Amino acid sequence: MSITVFLQYCLAGISIGGIYALIAIGYTMVYGILRLINFAHGDIFMMSAYFMIFAMVNFMIPWYISAVIVIVSTVALGVIIEKVAYKPLRNAPRMSIMISAIGVSYLLQNLATYLFSALPKPYPDIPVLNKTIYLGEVSTSLVTFITPIITIAAVAGLLALLKYTKIGMAMRAVAKDFETAQLMGIKINSVISMTFVIGCSLAAVGSMLYFTPRPSVFPLAGSLPGLKCFVAAVFGGIGSIPGAVLGGFIIGLSETFIKAAGYSEFSDVFTFILLIVVLMFKPTGLFGENMTEKV
Amino acid sequence: MAKDMRENVLRLSDVTMQFGGVVAVNNLNMEVNRGEIVGLIGPNGAGKTTVFNVITGVYAPTNGAVALNEKTILENFPQGKMKTMYKGENAGKYGKVQLLSPDKITKMGVARTFQNIRLFKELSVFENVLIAKHMNIKANVFSATFMLNHREEKQMQEETMELLKLLDLEKNKDDVATSLPYGKQRHLEIARALATKPQLLLLDEPAAGMNPQESDDLMHFIGSIRDDFSLSILMIEHHMQVVMGVCERIYVLDYGALIAEGTPSEVQNNPKVIEAYLGVD
Amino acid sequence: MMTKKSKRICTVIALAALAGVIFCIGEFTSTSSMLRTVLQLGSIYALVAVSMNLLNGFTGLFSLGQAGFMAVGAYTFAVLTIPVAYKPGVYYLYGVADALAGVSLPNWAGLLLAGVLASLFAAVIGAPVLRLKSDYFAIATLGFAEIVRIVVASSPLNRVTNGSLGLNSVPGYGSYYTPFFVVFICIAIMVMLMRSSYGRAFKAIREDEIAAEAMGINLAKHKQMAFVISSFFAGIGGALMAMYLRAITPTTFPVLLTYNILLIVVIGGMGSITGSVIAAFLVTAAKEWWLRFLDVPMVIGGFQVPLLRTGFRMVVFSIILMLVVLFWRRGIMGQNEFSWDGLCRLLRGERRKKRPGSKNSVGGGAVNG
Repeated sequence: MSITVFLQYCLAGISIGGIYALIAIGYTMVYGILRLINFAHGDIFMMSAYFMIFAMVNFMIPWYISAVIVIVSTVALGVIIEKVAYKPLRNAPRMSIMISAIGVSYLLQNLATYLFSALPKPYPDIPVLNKTIYLGEVSTSLVTFITPIITIAAVAGLLALLKYTKIGMAMRAVAKDFETAQLMGIKINSVISMTFVIGCSLAAVGSMLYFTPRPSVFPLAGSLPGLKCFVAAVFGGIGSIPGAVLGGFIIGLSETFIKAAGYSEFSDVFTFILLIVVLMFKPTGLFGENMTEKV
Repeated sequence: MAKDMRENVLRLSDVTMQFGGVVAVNNLNMEVNRGEIVGLIGPNGAGKTTVFNVITGVYAPTNGAVALNEKTILENFPQGKMKTMYKGENAGKYGKVQLLSPDKITKMGVARTFQNIRLFKELSVFENVLIAKHMNIKANVFSATFMLNHREEKQMQEETMELLKLLDLEKNKDDVATSLPYGKQRHLEIARALATKPQLLLLDEPAAGMNPQESDDLMHFIGSIRDDFSLSILMIEHHMQVVMGVCERIYVLDYGALIAEGTPSEVQNNPKVIEAYLGVD
Repeated sequence: MMTKKSKRICTVIALAALAGVIFCIGEFTSTSSMLRTVLQLGSIYALVAVSMNLLNGFTGLFSLGQAGFMAVGAYTFAVLTIPVAYKPGVYYLYGVADALAGVSLPNWAGLLLAGVLASLFAAVIGAPVLRLKSDYFAIATLGFAEIVRIVVASSPLNRVTNGSLGLNSVPGYGSYYTPFFVVFICIAIMVMLMRSSYGRAFKAIREDEIAAEAMGINLAKHKQMAFVISSFFAGIGGALMAMYLRAITPTTFPVLLTYNILLIVVIGGMGSITGSVIAAFLVTAAKEWWLRFLDVPMVIGGFQVPLLRTGFRMVVFSIILMLVVLFWRRGIMGQNEFSWDGLCRLLRGERRKKRPGSKNSVGGGAVNG
C-alpha cells in the first residue's frame, strides 16, 4: 500500500470515526445521567436525515439554512421523546425504561417507513460539500475533510461547556450522583433536557456529515450505525465523553482498514467482537469508573 | 459448660476489610463456639454488617482468615493496588488466597439474615422459604422438570410448612412477602435462613422495628431455636435488652476495631464501651 | 375455591375445547385463510415469547439475543433438511458443501438439532456474558445476535448457508397440526420447569440475586441453565419459522424481531407464561389481520379518511405498544398465571387484597381482580 493510499484510508477512517464520535457522545451522555441506553438515538439520527431531505427537497431551502432547521427539529424530536417516553418512567425499574427506549426505536422506524416509504429516498446533493479537494496527493471530498475538524471543534466546545458553565457543572453533578444533585437544588429536568439537546444536535450534525456523501436514506439506516456508535461509547467507557470520542475514532479507523484489507464483510463483525471483548475484560471501558454495590 | 471445652465453630483471625482508602473492619479477631449465642454490637457504621458480609463471602477480606469448624475457608492478603494502599496490620502474616462465593459458604452451613430485609418480594411466603431448600436438591433439572423427584419435592414442602408453623407464618403462607407486616417479614427472613439447615446462624438486627413485647418474644425464640436446631448464633443487634438478655458473650466494634469483649455484665460496665456508645433502648 | 378434582376436569375440558377449535379451523377453513395464518404464526411467536420470558421475565436476565438463537435454529434446520434432490438448485451459485450434499434429515430430527445447536451456542457465549451487569448483558446479547446474522451471511460459509441468497425449498409442516403440537409440548415443558424447584430458583434470582446467593443458589450455574434452556426453545421456534416460511435469508431474523418478541412479552406480562401465549396470538392477530384495514385508503361518505395508507398499521401498533409500556407496565397478566380460582374470582367480580403466590395447582396464582 503506497503512502498516499494509506493516508487516504486514514483520512476516511478518522472522518467516519468523527461521525461515530459525535453520535457516541449522545449515547454516553444520556447513559451517564439517566443510566439509560437510548436505543432510539440511532433512529433520531435517521429521522434527522429525513428532516434534511424535506427541508431541501420539499421546501427548497438552501442547505446552510436547512442545516439549522434540521438541528432544531432533531433537538425538538429528542426532547419530546424524553418528556413523553422516558420522564414518566424515571422511577420505574431499569428494565422498563430500556423497554421504552426500544419501543421508541420501533415507533420511529415504523413512522419513517409510513411517512417516507421503505424505499430509499435520495439525499440531497450539496455540491460545495461533495466537491473533490486535493491535499498534496491525497484526494477526498470536502465533507470528508472537514468532518474530523467539525468533530474536534464540537467536542472541544462541549468539554468547555461542561467545565466552565453553570449548566455544565450541574450536568457533571447529576452524572455523579442523581439523588444528591436533586437534593442540592439542581433542576433535574433542565439538566436532562440539556443533555438531550446536546446529544441530538451532535447527532443532527453527524447525520448531515454521514449522509452527504451517501446517495440515499432508508428507514432502517440508523440501526446499524446506532449500534456501532453505542459500541464506541462502551469501548471508551460509558459515561465518559473523551472515551466516546476515542471509541468513535478507533472504530472508524478499524472499520476502514478492515474494508481496505478486503474483508469488508467482516468490518461490522469486528465491531461487535470488540464490544464483547471489552465487556468481558474491561466492562467499564477505557476511561470508565468502577462501582461497587453496597449490600 | 466452660468456654474452652466447647469446640470452635467460627473463627476470624486478623480480618481487615478495606474499601479504597477506608478501613471498614480493622484487624478483627473473633470466635463463636458451638451452641453459643454471641452478640456483635457497636455504633452505626462500626462495620458490623461488613463483618457478616466477609464471613458469608459477599466481600473478600483484604487481609486475614476465616475458619469454620477449625478449617480455614477464607483467606486473603493485600494484592495489586491494595499492596501499597493497605492501612491495616499483619500484612505479612497471610500468604494464601482462598475465597468462596456466598452460595458455597451457605452450603457449608452458614446462614444469614439481612439488615434491610432481602425477601423475595413478589413471591409468596411459602415460596420464599421453599427456595432456601433448593440448594440441597439431589434431582437435576431434567428430573425436577419432569417431576421424577416428587418424593423429594414433597419432603421439601413439608419441611417448609413446619418452619412456617414454627414462626407463626402458617396462615400467611400464600401471601405475597411484601404484604406482610414488618415484624412478620423479619420472621420470614429467619425462617428462610433456617430452611438452609445451618450450623451457624448470622442474624443482622433481628429485632429492628420491634416493640418491647415482640423483642421479648424474639429473645426467647432465639434461645429456643438454638436448642431445637442445635445452632450457634452470631447476632448483630442494637436493642440492648435483647443483646444483654440472650447473648452469652459480646464483641463491641467501633470504627471497625474491636474495643471490648466479654460477658454482658463485663461489657456493660466497660468504660470504653460506655464512651463509644451504649445503645438507647 | 374449587376442589383439585374439579380443577383437573376443567383443565381437561378446556384443552379438549382448544384442540377442537384448532381441529375445526383446520377442517373448515381454506389453507390460505387469515385465521390459519394467525394461529400458526401466533403459535410460533408464543413459543419464542415464552422462551424469552423464561429468561427476561422469570430469571430477570434482560437478553436481546433471541433473534440470533432463532437464526441458529432456523439455519440448522434448513441446512439439514432440504431434500437432497433440491440442494443443487438451492446452492446454484456456490455449490453445496461436500459434507452436506447427501444429507437430509427428517423434520423431527431437524427440529431437535435446531434446539440443540442453539443451546450449544448459548452455552459457549453464556459463561462470559452472564457475568455482566444487566444493561451490558442486554447489549452483549444484542451484539451476539448481530454477529450471528452477519456470520451466517458471510462468504466463508457460502457453501453451507448459501450466503446472502439464503435457503429455500425448506420442508414445510408435515401436517396442519405440526406447529401446534410442537409448540404445545415445548411450552408444557417450560411450564413444568417453572413449577419445579429450579424454576423457583430462577425466580429467586430475579427477585434478589444477593439474597438468592445467600440461600445457597449458585448464580452462575442457574443463570447459565436458564440461558441455555431459553435458547434451546428459541432455536426450535426459529426452525418452526423456517418451516412456515419455507425459505430463510440472513435478514429473516433481524434485531427488529427480538424487539417484536420483547414487546409481546411486555404486553402479556413479564413473568407470566399465560400472558405471553395470549399476547402472542393477540399481537399476531392485530398486526396481521385486524389492523390491516389501516393500511388501505378508506372513503367514508365521499371523504377520504386521512392517514390511512400502507404502513399506518405498524405506526398504530407501535403507538399501542408505547401506551402499554408507559401506562400498563404489568401487561395483561402481570406476573400471574391462569388459574381456575382466579377465573372464578374475576367472573364474580371479587377483589382480593392479598395476591396469592404460585401454588401447585394448574398454572398458579390468581388474576388480579
